[in-house]
Amino acid sequence: MSLFESILTGLDEARRHLGQTALALLGIILGTGSIVTVLALFGGQAAHSQEFLNEVGGVGTLIVSNRDLPIQPSARELRSERLTYRDAILLKARAGSLSAVSPGWVSQLTYTAGNNHFDGQVIGTVPDYAMINKIKPLVGRYLTEYDVSRQARVVVMGWKYADSLFGDAKAALGRNLQLGGKQFTVVGVMTREEFYFASWEGNALEYRNERAYIPISTAVAQFTGTDPLDFLTLKATSISAIPAAQAEAQRLLYYRHGVEDFDIRPSGAGAGGQSGQFLLLFNFIFLVVGVVSLFTGGIVIANILLASVVERVREFGTRMALGATAGGVFAHVLTEALLVTLIGGLLGLGLGTALTGTVARIMALPAVVSPTIALLSITTSAVVGIVAGVYPAIRASRLSPVEALRYG
Amino acid sequence: MPGLIQAKALTKTYRLGRVDVQALRGVDVEIKAGEFVAIVGPSGSGKSTLMHILGCLDTASSGSYHLEGEDVSGLRGKRLAGVRNRKVGFVFQTFNLMPRLSIEENVGLPLKYRGGIGRGERKRRALARLEGLGLGHRIGHRPDELSGGERQRVAIARALVGEPAILMADEPTGNLDSRSGTEVLETFETLHRSGHTIIIVTHDPNVAARAERTISIADGQVV
Repeated sequence: MSLFESILTGLDEARRHLGQTALALLGIILGTGSIVTVLALFGGQAAHSQEFLNEVGGVGTLIVSNRDLPIQPSARELRSERLTYRDAILLKARAGSLSAVSPGWVSQLTYTAGNNHFDGQVIGTVPDYAMINKIKPLVGRYLTEYDVSRQARVVVMGWKYADSLFGDAKAALGRNLQLGGKQFTVVGVMTREEFYFASWEGNALEYRNERAYIPISTAVAQFTGTDPLDFLTLKATSISAIPAAQAEAQRLLYYRHGVEDFDIRPSGAGAGGQSGQFLLLFNFIFLVVGVVSLFTGGIVIANILLASVVERVREFGTRMALGATAGGVFAHVLTEALLVTLIGGLLGLGLGTALTGTVARIMALPAVVSPTIALLSITTSAVVGIVAGVYPAIRASRLSPVEALRYG
Repeated sequence: MPGLIQAKALTKTYRLGRVDVQALRGVDVEIKAGEFVAIVGPSGSGKSTLMHILGCLDTASSGSYHLEGEDVSGLRGKRLAGVRNRKVGFVFQTFNLMPRLSIEENVGLPLKYRGGIGRGERKRRALARLEGLGLGHRIGHRPDELSGGERQRVAIARALVGEPAILMADEPTGNLDSRSGTEVLETFETLHRSGHTIIIVTHDPNVAARAERTISIADGQVV
């Protein structure tokens, strides 16, 4: 009898005593269900974090920062002006692999309009900032190259500051306000930005609603007199161009600084990280529970199979007397184990999908049981079946027909 | 005409713990095609061991065994299983039917293990055997829905379905009441008359009396 036929025989006969293996099935169902749920929630979370990254323009961007000087800086390091607005102008003009260059100056200034005043963040930057950060005006416009070139005293408001200063975000357009005592005209108000990792967490993008943007040239002229940067963000022409863009920026900045006193790193690492802490723990616990219950299910299956081998010693003896080979008996027992765990795996997948739906709805989390997760969970349960079935199958196939027939 | 079974100087030694037990001490057996032979002897005489070796369930420690002219004394494992499947049909004292299979599936099992025979063909042959033994009305039933005598006849049908050279029965009436036992023995006689070679192992003189020839075993030797 071929292996295939042995498997068919095992399949054919295992389905007739599934009742006996109900307990083992339960273990496999719970284990698989749990693992499916965890993977789905985890996957949903990862996809969501990626979405957040895209939302904040994190993909394909490079962040340039001043490197901390050593305790005893070299002459070149001391002579370097560090990152300046002029660096950004050079990069914008010369780097062909960059689609956007966004230099920035950040300060806390007092906002004043009529009797309202408060201290808040002001960012001096350029039009590319809006492109990199994917922000759009609700009314009016964002900063333009013309604003930058003529050092215009114009401001683009974040939604919340516009709202609290003028009572209504849209009403802020065209109004005047003072920033750090200097007069500015509101030429635009940005749309309100929102992103929630989970229903119980706050708006992860709220900080973007609590600021205002002015041309960086105006900031230099009105407030600082010099042009050091607080941040410098670059965007490569495409994701595949990131390494080339990084190298080109490296070369151009080194040319200006005469020393490598800066760092360039792709963004994305760690973004949205801390907000997932709780979920990570939650997922971890579920995963442990899943693995333990799958493991338990496997042990239960192995035990039940062993017991059924002992119970059926004479049956295997008879099968051998009728012409079954040791290999045939081995395949038979293993197939039974595999069938039980596969059925358990499928039911577990169903349970996990239902559970995922419920958890996702209650906790307002994004979670999807993808085909990959389904395949993975079924494979896992099949592996458990094989591992649990091998020993009983070996025991059954090693029986001598004579002793097996005499047994019991 | 050479014997269907030609066994010479068969010995079988078991190791029980630290003691060697000689179950067979040089047995010569020759059985011709078409014979109805009873192997008799008290329990522990070695008659079952002899049947296991003749039925290719076990191998002798020494001696030679030719079955239908083929030397099978050197065969092991898969090859021996193949010989068993093709040449020997077994009937057991306790019937040994698979409780979860219907009787026609039980009867079809040897064909399944032989391989290469489709489901439909297996079923057809199983049904023919069952009908031949007067069990046509029981098709589709489970073994536990049958009487002892019927079960044993299902087992005989299973033993015959692969058209083996020999039908071997180990105390086939041991678990049956006398009326069912008689029915089963009559079945064997009918099969014998139609040309089957039958070997029955028994310690019951009434069963042995049905056979043409009796081989008596005592203390591992033919007496």
